[in-house]
Amino acid sequence: MDTWKKVAIGAAAVVVVGGGTRAVGLWGGEKSAAKGTLNYSLPTDIQTLDISKNTDQYSNQIIGNSGSNLLRVDAKGKAIPDLAKSIKVSSDGLTYTAQLRSGLKWSDGSKLTAQDFVYSWQRIVDPKTASQYAYLASGVKNADEIVAGKEKVSKLGVTSKGNTVTFNLAHPMPHFEYLLTFSNFMPQKESFVAKQGKSYGTTSEKQLYSGPYTFKGWNGTNGTFELVKNKNYWDAKSVKTQTLTYQVVKKPETAVQLYKQGKLDEAPLTTTELYSANKGSKDSVKVPEARTDYIEYNQTGTNKFLANTKIREALNLATNRAELVKEVTGGVSTAGIALVPTGLAKTASGKDLAQYVAPGYTYDKNKAAKLFAEGLKEIGETKATLTIEAASDQPANKVVVDYLQGSWQKDLPGLTINQKFVPFKQRLQDAQTQNFEILLTAWGGDYPEGSTFYDLFKNNGSYNDGKFINDAYTDAVNKAETKDALDQSDRDMDYKNAEAALFKNSNYSPLMFRAHYALQNSDVKGVVTNTTGLIQDFKYAYRK
Amino acid sequence: MWKYILKRLLLLIFTLFLVVTATFFLMQIMPGTPFTNPKLTPEAIAQLKSTYGLDLPLWQQYLNYLIGAAHGDFGISFQYQNQPVSMLIGQRLPISAQLGAQALVVGVIAGLFMGAASARNKNNKIDGTLGIISTLGISIPSFILGIILVYLFGFKWPLFPVSGWGDSFSQTILPTLALAMSPAAITTRFVRSEMIESLSSDYVQLAKAKGLSAKEVVNQHAYRNSMIPVLTLIGPMAAGLLTGSTLIEQIFSIPGIGQQFVLSIPSKDFPVIMGTTIVYSAMLMVMILITDILTAIIDPRVRLQ
Repeated sequence: MDTWKKVAIGAAAVVVVGGGTRAVGLWGGEKSAAKGTLNYSLPTDIQTLDISKNTDQYSNQIIGNSGSNLLRVDAKGKAIPDLAKSIKVSSDGLTYTAQLRSGLKWSDGSKLTAQDFVYSWQRIVDPKTASQYAYLASGVKNADEIVAGKEKVSKLGVTSKGNTVTFNLAHPMPHFEYLLTFSNFMPQKESFVAKQGKSYGTTSEKQLYSGPYTFKGWNGTNGTFELVKNKNYWDAKSVKTQTLTYQVVKKPETAVQLYKQGKLDEAPLTTTELYSANKGSKDSVKVPEARTDYIEYNQTGTNKFLANTKIREALNLATNRAELVKEVTGGVSTAGIALVPTGLAKTASGKDLAQYVAPGYTYDKNKAAKLFAEGLKEIGETKATLTIEAASDQPANKVVVDYLQGSWQKDLPGLTINQKFVPFKQRLQDAQTQNFEILLTAWGGDYPEGSTFYDLFKNNGSYNDGKFINDAYTDAVNKAETKDALDQSDRDMDYKNAEAALFKNSNYSPLMFRAHYALQNSDVKGVVTNTTGLIQDFKYAYRK
Repeated sequence: MWKYILKRLLLLIFTLFLVVTATFFLMQIMPGTPFTNPKLTPEAIAQLKSTYGLDLPLWQQYLNYLIGAAHGDFGISFQYQNQPVSMLIGQRLPISAQLGAQALVVGVIAGLFMGAASARNKNNKIDGTLGIISTLGISIPSFILGIILVYLFGFKWPLFPVSGWGDSFSQTILPTLALAMSPAAITTRFVRSEMIESLSSDYVQLAKAKGLSAKEVVNQHAYRNSMIPVLTLIGPMAAGLLTGSTLIEQIFSIPGIGQQFVLSIPSKDFPVIMGTTIVYSAMLMVMILITDILTAIIDPRVRLQ
């Protein structure tokens, strides 16, 4: 028994010593709200720091804050010079020439050159890199050919000479300046990438930083790390925060508790329970997402009911979007008013693009019933049966489809709605092969410019799953992307016309714009928030 | 004995081969591709597939995988886009192993004490209390206990951090306790019944007759003999920890292999699914083998053949 007594005493000692040192804070892990420090969390592990390959928005929080591109999105949503001193655009919109600031440096003190940008653009389109975001470069001369393996990487329309980077485009791109803010196109140093080989971007040591902060303390798996002010950043004087700590907290409930203990400056309220428990809090802030849920109607003619404009209009009018949002998300998301979601982009005059283009989707059950009866009469029917298809992977979809089924059947006499739930992968395939009648779809934007949504429904466009032909719409979008590519206020008008053309023909139905709430410490100022790209830019962030 | 171990090892390799083959072909039944971003054009998907060798005929992919695996190359993760699977597992396995080992050590030691205390106080209050505790320990799943611990010691009395790994030892305490409960309970019950049996056995009667004090009888004879069979429990308990830790890793945001395994399935990260399956089955089989060998060493009545 003596040995066991020893073990017992030993164990007791460990507990006492451990608890004691823990209590006086020798173990670390305790965080206080120090002035030069901000404390944030991520809901998932970092996947990679590889600039060309990353597709994860949380890894992007780190990559985007520790890196810089030619331009950076400011608080008003405009792309303003960052590593570039100036950018000139040719009058045909096909050539962008960026002049770099002088004396730019990487975080290790080495020189950051125009060639580093060229290399990064070549690397993302190189089939050997296998980046899933290579399609973002589409529109730059030869980019599509290189991605498809039909052209050499060196033929890409991005070149450098001295301190300038030149971009040659295949066609004008209204959103090109936003690509110049994107983290996937930030500069990368070829010699460094080559030296790291397969381990490039797998720990914080195996990456170079060009932005306001450098990244420290990530060994590839651990869950706490820091962004530390980068003294080699050209605009270091504007960076007021010395350290931004991050910890991975996978349970949103835990993040909320840590927020309430003052250990985090932000906690997302991603479940309805957390939202309702905290909605009275003064720290609760609505965070829009660049995502629209909408309905597509099969307009190929295989379904005679949906080929009828009056029936489609009746369905649109019988959709009470405000009530739907309340039913499905407890009022967290916003009722859909257009294809492009609120909070995505602003017009030339600073108005929200969605508000500006909104053609007036309303709920009018009497008009809906009347139109439905007329539509049925036109095709010589007295009743109709339609099926709504949705992905089963998201539980909320069931609530949406239930709601639509109930309210449509109630408001439109003679209509029977069936439900069809399939896995997301199957839904994608059905959409592409027009194997559906009514489809519940969602789309997320890539950049804060209307074309990221309005590209979808062009005649024969690959995401026009309903395969409708709307010339007025296609003409308006094409005009925005060619003639008006460099004129924002004309482009705003084009998008308004495009949205009006969709509304007139009831080609689709916007349901809701996704959003969530978050608890945010109001003492933290200067965070630039976006719905696409870098969700939170901490360059100017500080604690009051 | 050595011949036996060699035979078992060969069998182990053959079993692994069967596991690899079954997993490989089962994965093909899952619909779609790993590249589900709806924005990827068909050409881009074709390009990605050829980069990862997914455009080859199935038998060739299978053969390539076997040859690679035999050389220790398990491919590159689709989700963690830069990382070879061996590196991904190499970083995460030690974390899960440490967690499992800590839980096993704490659980078994606690179980030995509680089991002995229970047996020596047979049918009184202490025995009853410990009986209730061990019944709860076996019936409450570790993830429920994990959540209770998070609530009590993370928020009600914030003594320990509730998430993360590798920054301080204190992060490991709550997940270790949550996982240790089940081995502690199993050990308690096992030791209790073993010891009650040996306390009534002939050699203990003889020791008593020799005039040894009650304390000496228990320490020198009963306790030692009833502890040894516990060794044979460690294999199955370690296997139980392997599966139990998956949920605990999720609750405490621990970047271990179990969590990796779970995440890799919906994202169809083929190489990671394969790699983790191989590692899991190899670990399980090695555990069973070790248990069998230990049993034979401890109990000469068991013959290995």
